[in-house]
Amino acid sequence: MSQPLRTAEIAPLPPERPLSEEGLAHYEASFRQHYTEWAAVLQRNAERLARGQYSLHWLDTEGANWGRRAKPSSRGLTYDDVNRVRAYGEPPETATWLNFAPRGAVRDRYADEMPVVPAYDVLDRNELWAENVTTLYEEAKARQWNATRDIPWSELEALPDDLEKATCQLATFLTEVEFVAGDFPAKWLYRIPQDFLEVKSFLATQLMDEARHQEVFRKRAIAGGGLLHAAPGFEWALKAILEAPTHTMGTFLLNLLGEGLVLSIFRSGEMIAKTHVDKEIFRRCLQDEARHVSYGTMELKYYLDHVRDRQAALDDMHRFADVGEQVILSSFTEAALVEPIAVLLGGGLAKIDQGMEGMAHLWRMSIEEYLQRCDRAGFSRRERCTIPIDAPWAAA
Amino acid sequence: MSSVAGLAAGPAVGRETVGAVPAAGSAAIPFPSRAWFEALAARVREQRVRWEHLGYVDCVAGFTVLDGPGGAPFRVQVSFDEFDVVDVREAREDEGARADFVLEADLATWRAMIESIAAGHGRPALEQTLNRLSHMGKPIAVRSDDPLRRDLYFRYNQSLQEFVNASAGFRTAFPD
Repeated sequence: MSQPLRTAEIAPLPPERPLSEEGLAHYEASFRQHYTEWAAVLQRNAERLARGQYSLHWLDTEGANWGRRAKPSSRGLTYDDVNRVRAYGEPPETATWLNFAPRGAVRDRYADEMPVVPAYDVLDRNELWAENVTTLYEEAKARQWNATRDIPWSELEALPDDLEKATCQLATFLTEVEFVAGDFPAKWLYRIPQDFLEVKSFLATQLMDEARHQEVFRKRAIAGGGLLHAAPGFEWALKAILEAPTHTMGTFLLNLLGEGLVLSIFRSGEMIAKTHVDKEIFRRCLQDEARHVSYGTMELKYYLDHVRDRQAALDDMHRFADVGEQVILSSFTEAALVEPIAVLLGGGLAKIDQGMEGMAHLWRMSIEEYLQRCDRAGFSRRERCTIPIDAPWAAA
Repeated sequence: MSSVAGLAAGPAVGRETVGAVPAAGSAAIPFPSRAWFEALAARVREQRVRWEHLGYVDCVAGFTVLDGPGGAPFRVQVSFDEFDVVDVREAREDEGARADFVLEADLATWRAMIESIAAGHGRPALEQTLNRLSHMGKPIAVRSDDPLRRDLYFRYNQSLQEFVNASAGFRTAFPD
């Protein structure tokens, strides 16, 4: 074997660059700062290999949970099945491992040499966990579908012009809004330490779900005539979700309120669909959306049940919801959303007034469902909800 | 009793159906009855590959016919577990909480839906899907004490639709 590699012999890193290359320069500086740490690991391994020696330390089960085997249940080997094995199943109250070392692995003895990932800064289980998260993850994997193949696109037939435009406008709205529910979990996903792997896994399924929703509605619009109008009201609602100050607050606004209302829109979409293709699209999507709503409800409940100062947490959540509800309302009063649904509900542009009457009923029902989910989470908004129980036009 | 029947093989996978051709001369199964729902459960087992494609279903779904035999409500609870129906039982009024949600309608509503499914060879008309009939709270009401358990109706909606669509695979007899 060749001579062992020495730290001093490692090729020098490139020199520092001007600020115009700030990102790369920062990266170089970061690894230069930790040079002695990672280079020591590299040197030790290189020297051993050069000596022709094996380590085989990984055969040592001291400190491991070796031999406690997970047993599959009827549906395979689920997260719940492996989490029943002691030492693997309990996510910490506060994450202290800010790297990729797996929960339950032999890792303590390596702690001093491991790097810290500063991006991992959502450390409290209260801010992430939901009692149903593993169930929802397994269900999400089992109920994936394919927007290319599982929708009978070849059956799509042209509708009368007003109904086709209404359908395509609704699809445009959904194309515009759906992937905020991908961007929001993505924004938080990389901030969550690996010890909360179940939550990270579920959020990854939500990303996939939303990619599919964005895909299927974009395809529906373009296959039916084209994308129509974007709207500023939608955008402000999306911004309010994306910029929520904490994961729990954003999850409440996105999953419990926003996705709850979109679930109502999907159910309405199925109800008023004028083709079997649209029926199938909305039915598939509403299933995914209901999982997200379920996570949002139970995540808020877990947070409120476990946070140290529940009253202070409730006060903050109410403060946040007072604003969030209003901004979300800016989306759900947009003409580019309300009117196409009313046209589809009424059966045509000439019957839009009848459709608006039906919309008023759906509005009341959707807000009541929102309030029920808040109650279920232990967050009563009935006395404080800033969204009117009755649709603005119902009182006119 | 009068009866309806599916007439032809169901459309391909990917459509909202698991319909099959009813055997010629096979006896019609009365609706509402436990046997009718057990016949649907049998179709689920026959269509295992399709159900695996749709994914897990883990819930107890209640179905109520408000004006059942003798004018009294007929209640049945169907327990879905993974890719199977593991239990079909008639339920008393005070056992309603065992179901995650209950779909409740009069016989005429259920009959119109079942006849539409049969006429569509396993795919109901646009206005006869479960969600279409239940979304406004009528003619099918979705009952549940818990919003999370009610949401299971939405989480498994495609599977539940295909469950009732399977009625195209046999003949149904209704009270005259």
